[in-house]
Amino acid sequence: MKPSLASSRRLVIFSFLAVPVALLLYFLIYPTIQLFHYSFTNWDGYSPAMRYIGLDNYEKLLFDFPEAWQAIRNNGLYFVVHTLFIPVELLTAVLLNRTLRGSGFFRFTVLMPYIINGIAVAYMFSYIYNPINGPLNELLKAIGLESLITGWLSDLDVVNYSLIAVSLWRFAGVHIILMLAGLQSIPNDLYEAAELDGANFWQKLRYVTIPGIRTVMEIILFMNVSGALLQYDIPYVMTGGGPGTASSTFGLFSLQTAFTYNNYGLASAMAVSLLVLIVLFSSLQNWIVKDRSERA
Amino acid sequence: MSQLQAGQAHPIRPPAAPARSTAQAKRRLADGGYYLFFGVMCVLVFVPILLVLFGSFKDAEELAATSPFSMPSNWFNWDNYVTAFTEGNMLLGLRNTAILVFGSLIGNALLGTMTAYVLNRFDFKLRKAVLLLFMLAMIIPSYTTEIARFQLIHGLNLYNTLSGPLLIYIGTDIMQIYIYTQFLQKISTQLDESAMLDGASYARVFRSIIFPLLLPATATLGILKSVTIMNDIYVQTLYMPKRELATLPTALMAFVGERSSDLSALCAGIMLVLLPSALFYLVFQRLIFKGLMDGAVKG
Repeated sequence: MKPSLASSRRLVIFSFLAVPVALLLYFLIYPTIQLFHYSFTNWDGYSPAMRYIGLDNYEKLLFDFPEAWQAIRNNGLYFVVHTLFIPVELLTAVLLNRTLRGSGFFRFTVLMPYIINGIAVAYMFSYIYNPINGPLNELLKAIGLESLITGWLSDLDVVNYSLIAVSLWRFAGVHIILMLAGLQSIPNDLYEAAELDGANFWQKLRYVTIPGIRTVMEIILFMNVSGALLQYDIPYVMTGGGPGTASSTFGLFSLQTAFTYNNYGLASAMAVSLLVLIVLFSSLQNWIVKDRSERA
Repeated sequence: MSQLQAGQAHPIRPPAAPARSTAQAKRRLADGGYYLFFGVMCVLVFVPILLVLFGSFKDAEELAATSPFSMPSNWFNWDNYVTAFTEGNMLLGLRNTAILVFGSLIGNALLGTMTAYVLNRFDFKLRKAVLLLFMLAMIIPSYTTEIARFQLIHGLNLYNTLSGPLLIYIGTDIMQIYIYTQFLQKISTQLDESAMLDGASYARVFRSIIFPLLLPATATLGILKSVTIMNDIYVQTLYMPKRELATLPTALMAFVGERSSDLSALCAGIMLVLLPSALFYLVFQRLIFKGLMDGAVKG
């Protein structure tokens, strides 16, 4: 006998959703709840016992943990430099939108740093920054700027910028390609109409281009926020967060707090804070987007 | 380097109408600026890679004695590559990376399309709740929960197995469900309804209509997911520290740890890890561009 339509409907709904929903609950929702739970304890990660210590971890994080603040300041630096770089990225995207001989190859080149293996890229720059006979120092010598030579990955004041340069090298390309997508979505008639009205290059940029890519720019700003907050592998691979904790980021430092210093409770409090920061920034972003479109 | 050219068409510029020479000069200047700009960009992108390539063909002595900008004396000195390939466990790394990528692609494509099918084509009591769950999950950055998830993986005895990261890659990718659902919204229900009238079962409709119709989305999602997995060390170092489970990036990390003073071998190791990803880019560039650009404008 053929099963009735209603029962086979229920069967397909259940059987198709069971696995993905179970995976989601078990590997994302449950750990998130656990994270909050651990953050109120002094657990070390392996002892059978854990003691509830209320908000002590958060108190320590806020008032008595300069390394964590140093780390989050470093995240902030990634955000600031990436954001300052947006005009250059936008200029590149505008130029890339022209079709000249070779523009296909230039597009290919722009995105390449983002696609090729990021860990190999990090080590590649470790080689470039190498203090002994390293390419960067040799280049500076060759052009008479020896005075600029420094410990790119060992000088406390320089190391973060060295790492951020790698981050720019890796991620600028994807921003440029997203901006290019935004530019290509602007209908050509708008430019033609502006030209008929006698608009110059800058006016077209101001009144046609920038409004046309607002959505994409918002995506990129959000990528900058979450990318900077989740920055992890470049410092992990190139400096291990060092010297000391000078180039650590919040995510890297929270992992080290958990697995190197065995302070699971504190690390969980850090992860919760990171989570809250990201959710906060993304809802702020949503709010800004919504606000603008209502006014428009 | 013409074989590196992106697949887009390069229309030849239309012959310019006879213009006054100042306009022509102006345009030539603009074109010159264009090529200067992108020339600098190409230098910035390719020179670091070339320097590592040069270094990878020099032995330790030559590397120390010559300028890093000088070409290797012998382009056929493969010793460093042999060292990096064998001692760096690169073949094993390639194998494990391939397993993670293909396993996750299959799992994601199946579960993603199934979920989107049910959520988009059926109306049922818990639909709103499930949708809410997925929306909630989407705002949680998966990486922030790793500290707690580590305990789960341990508890399931999946520490130091390929299944742990596979389950995480498959189970926590909410973005693709969102994209599949959006894609499915644009596909008319007429096809599946008429198939149902012809007596096809739901499973049959899914297998012969929905899944094939979603294949273009699957292709772009799969390519972008592969890039993510190939670049990820967070999950891979945390859950698979065992040597036999090294992936390409973690194998490179171990190799660097062991031979940190042998720069020329390291250069070869870096090239060995860069190469597969560069090949991947060459082969799939169209899909990569399409995936990124569509997502930016429509998403």
